[in-house]
Amino acid sequence: MTKAIEIKNLLKDYDNFRALKGISFEVREGEIFGLIGPNAAGKTTTLRIIATLLQLTSGEVKVFNHDVIKESEKVREMISYLPEEAGAYKNLSGREYLEFIAQFYAEDKSKMEKILNKGLELAKLGEKVTDKVSTYSKGMTRRLLLARALMIEPKLAILDEPTSGLDVIMSQEIRKIIKDFAQHGVTVLLSSHNMLEVEFLCDRIALINNGEIVEIGTPTQLEREYNAKNIEEVFIKAIE
Amino acid sequence: MKNFLNIFKKEIKELLTKEMIFSLVFMVMLFGLMGSFINDAKERTQEQLLETTSLAVLNLDNSAYSKEVLNKLEENKIEIVEIEEESLEDAVKKTQKEGLMFLLVLPENFEESIKGMHGTEVEMYSMVKGFDANENTSFSHISAVVNLINQEISNTYIENAFGGQNPENIINPIKTKEFVVVNNKVAPGNLATLKALSMANSMIIPILLMMSIMYAGTMIITSMGLEKENKTLETLLTLPVKRISIILGKMAGAAVVALLMAVVYIIGFNYYMSSFSASVVDGENIMQTLGLTMTFFDYILLGISLFLTILVALSVCMILGMFAQDVKSAQSMQFPIILLIMIPYFILMFQDLGTMSIGLKIFLYLNPFSHPFIASKVLIFDNYSIVIAGIVYLAVFAAFMMYLSVKLFNTDKVLTAKSPFGKLKLSKG
Repeated sequence: MTKAIEIKNLLKDYDNFRALKGISFEVREGEIFGLIGPNAAGKTTTLRIIATLLQLTSGEVKVFNHDVIKESEKVREMISYLPEEAGAYKNLSGREYLEFIAQFYAEDKSKMEKILNKGLELAKLGEKVTDKVSTYSKGMTRRLLLARALMIEPKLAILDEPTSGLDVIMSQEIRKIIKDFAQHGVTVLLSSHNMLEVEFLCDRIALINNGEIVEIGTPTQLEREYNAKNIEEVFIKAIE
Repeated sequence: MKNFLNIFKKEIKELLTKEMIFSLVFMVMLFGLMGSFINDAKERTQEQLLETTSLAVLNLDNSAYSKEVLNKLEENKIEIVEIEEESLEDAVKKTQKEGLMFLLVLPENFEESIKGMHGTEVEMYSMVKGFDANENTSFSHISAVVNLINQEISNTYIENAFGGQNPENIINPIKTKEFVVVNNKVAPGNLATLKALSMANSMIIPILLMMSIMYAGTMIITSMGLEKENKTLETLLTLPVKRISIILGKMAGAAVVALLMAVVYIIGFNYYMSSFSASVVDGENIMQTLGLTMTFFDYILLGISLFLTILVALSVCMILGMFAQDVKSAQSMQFPIILLIMIPYFILMFQDLGTMSIGLKIFLYLNPFSHPFIASKVLIFDNYSIVIAGIVYLAVFAAFMMYLSVKLFNTDKVLTAKSPFGKLKLSKG
């Protein structure tokens, strides 16, 4: 099976602080892979390095066999990144925002239309789509951003806390969208605090703590291994 | 190119908000309104000069000569209202009652004192109700006429004493005819007039330069602040677009909005300033005779200098913007740049490059924001070497700053850098 992500001995330092202490893992094409850990464990740093936003101190990171440092432009063509605290341009309308993003991926008008229609369908903003983003609720903005990330049908979607700050109904809707996209061949790498979400969505997970990978496996495998009722219990036992 | 244009359009939409358009329109209206007020006041004053001014007169002399003087005043559009009261106190009361502003008291022996060449003293009382400019104008009118009469009396004395000689040749036997020379070109006029003309002519260009450089810096730093504040930068940096396209798209958007703002500002400011400017007779002719006007080539050089300076401002502010957390912190970080732009503007407004100290000259030459101001001053004197050297310096400086901003955009700094005045905060996770 093709490797969507390949990380070997990844080390990341911020001045005197070592955020990642030589982590290694792989994500297979078409799977939903979850990165789980407490605050400041190194989740966002890992996602940002894969998304070509941060330089690495040492090690190797490849996305579909392309080096994130040496071939960053090639990697950017294949990925879509949704940061945890992302926002959209407030003076643009939802539609204008989706158009702005679609322009970078569409080679011609018909492709542009296809991407835009997909985005509008996912965003489900109705008449509000022509209103300025500054008038949107947090849930609407998050939906717009997820639509932005998925409408281009990336080979790899990197989602940092995709349902962060959303209500139960909106979160469930977003999970369904992610699952649906993965079934259509999009590889998803996500981070989450929500263990239920992880259990529902992920094919495999990696537990990360203090800049190190503690465990990797399927949720069922890990529950069996740690003799735990759920992933939350696995997580607590694994980091103890 | 497609990606550059996409970012450029987005920048314009983001920066040119309704609030900004409103504030621009408001600023132009404010300048227009102030200009209108000043123009109205000027017109009122000029109209008043053409109108007749009323003057109450208490004539204690009542001689033929005093009447002749009063007739002279009337010939010069001063309406004489003779007061019959005997005491000064009553005359003042009467003047106030009549609603007149000025009372002139001609003393007894007025004719005798003048004809005897002893000199005399007339008294002028102003009835103060407020400090309106119109009252000053009326008073100046009366004083001017009194001075005229004085001059005529003196001339009569001189003519009588020197057997019909022209009094002007006796009062001012040496006359000066002034010329100014610039680069071997000679024109009639004096240095003060030339300075006043040059000041009035070169007022608008430096302000336009200052505004466009400052606005460009503000726009780009605001744009970076907005990206950070709205949490859109990370998404932008993961799009399949070259960093240089992001930087150039942002810079072009900011420059266009800045130039638009500067032009709108200058239209309003020009209208406001035109209400102050006094026209110098034949001023344009003197400047043209001396070759002190900007040619098309001069404007091209000034344009290149301005373009490169805006590029420097954009790159420097782009780098500063990387350290900002939000719009507010971004704008406060721009303060040192504003100072570097304003200092040369003010120095060159009051001092000439040729007469300033070496230290000040070095500061101006090293400060990239000085060069368009220097160019606007020296180009009319055809001093091209300073301008071309400045353009070369600016090109090197701009290229270096652009290179630096692209380099920084390719590092973690663009996301993790914080203001050097704050504590370094690590990215979350």
